[in-house]
Amino acid sequence: MGQQVLNAIFIGSIYALFAVGYTLVFGVLDILNLAHSAVFMVGAAITYSLVVNYHQTFLVACLLGIAACAFVGLVIEYACLRPLRRRRAPPIAALISTIGLALIIVAAVEQGRPGSAFAWLWVDGANSVRFPPDMIPNPTWRVAGLTLEATKVAIVPITIALMLVLGYVIRFTQFGRGLRAVAENPRAASLMGLDVDRMIALTVVLSSALGGVAGILFGLALSDISPYIGRDNLEIRGLAVIVLGGMGSIPGAVAGGYLLGLIEVLALVVLGSNVRAGVAFAALFLVLVLRPQGLFGAQLKERL
Amino acid sequence: MKRERVILGLLAAVVLAACGTTSSGGGGSSYAGKTIKLGAILSITGAGGVYGPQSRDGMNLAVNEINKAGGVNGAMITLTVNDDASDKAQSARLAQTMIEQDQDLALLGPTLSNSAVGVHPLAESLKTPILAVSTTGIHIVPDCNFPAATACKYVFRDSLGEQTAIPDNIKSYSEDKHPTTGVLLVAQDDKFSSDGGTIVQNTVGQYGINLLATIKFSKTEADLSPYVTQAVQKKPDVIFITSLGGIPAKIMTEARKQGWTGQFLGGNGFNTATVSKQAGGDGKGARSASAWYIGNTFTSNAAFVSAYKTAYSKDPDQFAAQGYTGIKILADAAKRANLTFSDLAGDRDKLRAAMETVNLDTPLGPFQFTSSHDVKQTVWVIAMDGQGGFTLVHEIKPS
Repeated sequence: MGQQVLNAIFIGSIYALFAVGYTLVFGVLDILNLAHSAVFMVGAAITYSLVVNYHQTFLVACLLGIAACAFVGLVIEYACLRPLRRRRAPPIAALISTIGLALIIVAAVEQGRPGSAFAWLWVDGANSVRFPPDMIPNPTWRVAGLTLEATKVAIVPITIALMLVLGYVIRFTQFGRGLRAVAENPRAASLMGLDVDRMIALTVVLSSALGGVAGILFGLALSDISPYIGRDNLEIRGLAVIVLGGMGSIPGAVAGGYLLGLIEVLALVVLGSNVRAGVAFAALFLVLVLRPQGLFGAQLKERL
Repeated sequence: MKRERVILGLLAAVVLAACGTTSSGGGGSSYAGKTIKLGAILSITGAGGVYGPQSRDGMNLAVNEINKAGGVNGAMITLTVNDDASDKAQSARLAQTMIEQDQDLALLGPTLSNSAVGVHPLAESLKTPILAVSTTGIHIVPDCNFPAATACKYVFRDSLGEQTAIPDNIKSYSEDKHPTTGVLLVAQDDKFSSDGGTIVQNTVGQYGINLLATIKFSKTEADLSPYVTQAVQKKPDVIFITSLGGIPAKIMTEARKQGWTGQFLGGNGFNTATVSKQAGGDGKGARSASAWYIGNTFTSNAAFVSAYKTAYSKDPDQFAAQGYTGIKILADAAKRANLTFSDLAGDRDKLRAAMETVNLDTPLGPFQFTSSHDVKQTVWVIAMDGQGGFTLVHEIKPS
């Protein structure tokens, strides 16, 4: 059971990091950026390519991978969100446009094979690959019957540290105050002299950079990097986490991530592997029936 | 008079032989100036993208070789490869278009058994020969219309079915190491994987292996650690993995991280260098039964491996060999089928009949179809070498 609790904490951290990207954009724009799963994948894929194909150190590759994700965030804003916002399109339009961009990004990466137009980005096509084992030290410890792998253990403090920094930025910096003002009332924020478009762009960039970090940590800890890592069950879990935690709430996304990880593992241990996903989503359903705004859900003005 | 009859009889026999009444013999009527249209439905992207590109490369290599050598009785082969993105519905849509609109003479594929359950019955109902080159699940041949009992006439496969591969592999390992306990990890939402799981469950008892648990998960599961923990905590001698794509390697890596040192046994999902490479040292020794082994030195395989390496600057794998063999089978059958090129339905039926008597030397070894259109060939038990390749463990001749 102890090992399974550790598994829950590790995957809960990934869920939380992944979901924070979703919730950050939702908190400001009231829309779901469904290209976030593709950004998550891009972070891992570019870092892997830089290490394996361009022989960069892991640290340099990480920084460039996160920067690339931030740039993709800018593309999301300028290609998918801003044009629709200008035309006062309903939120569903942005939802569809971000799904479209996600499909394009995944398709581009999976076409990356030697000799193809995308070979500069990715050469492993649909294959799942992993970082070279000797890239960074990754000792495994056995403590009281538990297996502790360094990369997985590191995910937890990194996640918590990033969330604390994010919380500080949003609560106590000028950028954070601006962000909250835009989240509360963009029109009023604009009248107060805030550049709303710039704030939104920065939010999407920040969210995408966090998605990139999550993708890199996922690839590192789970030895799995492919064009589909963000799309498969992780995307739906990310959405479940922000609903569970409360749409637009960063503490909610973090708590929701760990809670969902724990519920899933408990379901697996107690009821068996057949029902893991079913039980997790039944618990989610129950939470929503009892508390529709989610665990940390609040009124619009209190979001973020 | 008697002597004249004998001479006439001999002459008739010579003429019949020249017309190609035996497989791999001389061709039938001349097809000069004609085109034999073939279509392949492969998973170039999506979960099956681990296998589809190699199948495509093997097929294209065979088409180029045949056309460069003058074609099939003078007819050139054109091969159109369509990507079903590993999607069952898309696979069926493509099949319908290729049969009815493109009017392909025969089809190859699809890559995944999961898609074959839609495509094969469609090809059967439209009376179009279809040759599966990688589908290994249950109810592919001859019962493509399962649960209907009628045997499918137009569906063939040159891929080694899991019903042969998995039991052969378990038998081989049991005779070598005598394991007593096992755990099965199976993706419950994939036909290939769940069929393989059923075969494992039905086989282990014959070899005295107690299956301690069957642990089911989704093929799209992001993190397999909790399932692997469940398996490892049972302390089995063997972990059976019947999944495809990146799943086997992920399970192997996680199990080794958690300190488990037992044996991995699997199915066709192991049989590509991509999976072996991804598993790396964690997969070393993982065994499976394969339709093909790269190290075989008989002429038809050595020539194929050499040509593939020249064409693509990389080693082929089982899926490339089966794709290549698929085209050679269809070309051989077409050669003997006396096609008219004016009656598509009639030509499809003639091709189907000719396929039943194929007898070829292929990279897979001497190749024939059984009466139920399945493969009849040698099975190669192989083990991952920890460096992205395989070593040969056993050779099992067809019974």
